[in-house]
Amino acid sequence: MAGKPMVAICWLGSCGGCDEAVVDLNEAILDVANAVDIIFWPVAMDFKYHHLEAKRDGEIALSIINGHVRNSEQEEVAKLLRKKSQLVLAFGACACFGGTPGMANFRTKQDVFNWVYREAPTVVNPKRNYPQPKSKVNGKELSLPEFYEKVYALNQIIDVDYYLPGCPPPPDLTANAIYAVVEGRLPPKGTTLAPDKALCDTCNRNATKPSRISLSDIKRIHEVEASPDTCFLAQGILCLGPAVRSGCGEACMNINIPCRGCFGPVQGVEDAGAKFISALAAMLEAENDKDIRQLIEKIGDVPGYLYRFSAPVSALSQKQV
Amino acid sequence: MSNSEPKIVCFSCKFGWGYLGSEAALSSQVKNWIPIICSGKIDAQYILDAFRQGADGVLVLGCPEGDCHFQDGNVESKKRIYLLQKVLEAYGIEPERVRIELSLDPEGKKIPELVKKMSGTVKKLGPMKVLASR
Ligand code: SF4
Ligand code: SF4
Repeated sequence: MAGKPMVAICWLGSCGGCDEAVVDLNEAILDVANAVDIIFWPVAMDFKYHHLEAKRDGEIALSIINGHVRNSEQEEVAKLLRKKSQLVLAFGACACFGGTPGMANFRTKQDVFNWVYREAPTVVNPKRNYPQPKSKVNGKELSLPEFYEKVYALNQIIDVDYYLPGCPPPPDLTANAIYAVVEGRLPPKGTTLAPDKALCDTCNRNATKPSRISLSDIKRIHEVEASPDTCFLAQGILCLGPAVRSGCGEACMNINIPCRGCFGPVQGVEDAGAKFISALAAMLEAENDKDIRQLIEKIGDVPGYLYRFSAPVSALSQKQV
Repeated sequence: MSNSEPKIVCFSCKFGWGYLGSEAALSSQVKNWIPIICSGKIDAQYILDAFRQGADGVLVLGCPEGDCHFQDGNVESKKRIYLLQKVLEAYGIEPERVRIELSLDPEGKKIPELVKKMSGTVKKLGPMKVLASR
């Protein structure tokens, strides 16, 4: 096996969808497996952390890391992978921007614990216990990873070389990213390995997108029967396409669901939500206070809508552990 | 911030606010006063930047409705601020920390007053803890 670059694939705070996306390479995964030596992939193969610890620093060519960081185990594994790897690819929206779990940053850790361990209707917890990082059972001390105050994107914890967003990333860009490393075709550090265009530029509904959008009413996708080939914005349904990076393969569009932003902002935009506020404000057709507020209420969850995948990296979220 | 005055950043449109007054005199009275051309220039990002750089509150002064030199920059700004207030709330930041007022004051005499009033409101809210903790 000597000579083949070593690759580690790892999940941190993840739903497993990103690992599934690697499996979705289908036959291509056999080529990948021929080109590289997968030395760590907890979801798919039986490896332990001590296998990683045994590697020399920088011995792994590429670590593909998915999921966010919210506990001490995830932080430890991220740091270990960084130490052992030449390159780290943040894989998927969670690793790149915190992802949907990042919306938990709109609540405190205390709120999360209260709900999950005490108040949710399905919880039976008469002693009102919370999990503790350390507890004594029959004279023995048991430990659990520490749950942090908030969700972090990977680059808030370790240095990241490349980014591939998506929830999860599509197979074509995944294969490209791996081969770019194998073949040494690497763009400058920090690059997002996806097109720089906005989704609207590649969307096949674009021909029906009005040049000036004015929404005097906002409908949510489940409230209407949307036309399958007309621009969502033209139908009064919010779509994040104007502000979001293309490259996802339009999986949502194809099943008649508007873009919700898993590819993150287009190149050069730091705060995806703040950027979209200006675009969205311009679309809202209302002049007086009452109408503006009413229309905004129709959006439902404004922050969730603007930061569905990126709350931890917004300008309002600070970056220390 | 318990004893000190809150930091208020005030953006005001030059077409409606203080254009007859002396900019130098107003600047000396109002710290962090930023006269701009059209309140519609204020992107949500600028307001977030102000908070990130330590502001405790942001006040935007635009021209009266229907009087925008560029058609509707003032209403655009208002819509952005109302949207942004929803985002601030989600991060545990009181929406009262951003305010927009559409009115006219060529002499600019009201600017220091409005900033003072805003400062009072913000003082009651206390310091912005949340930026560091969430
Ligand atoms: S990016 Fe999406 S698919 Fe990947 S771990 Fe996060 S939620 Fe799951
Ligand atoms: S707004 Fe959405 S539906 Fe319309 S062109 Fe852009 S991506 Fe396509």
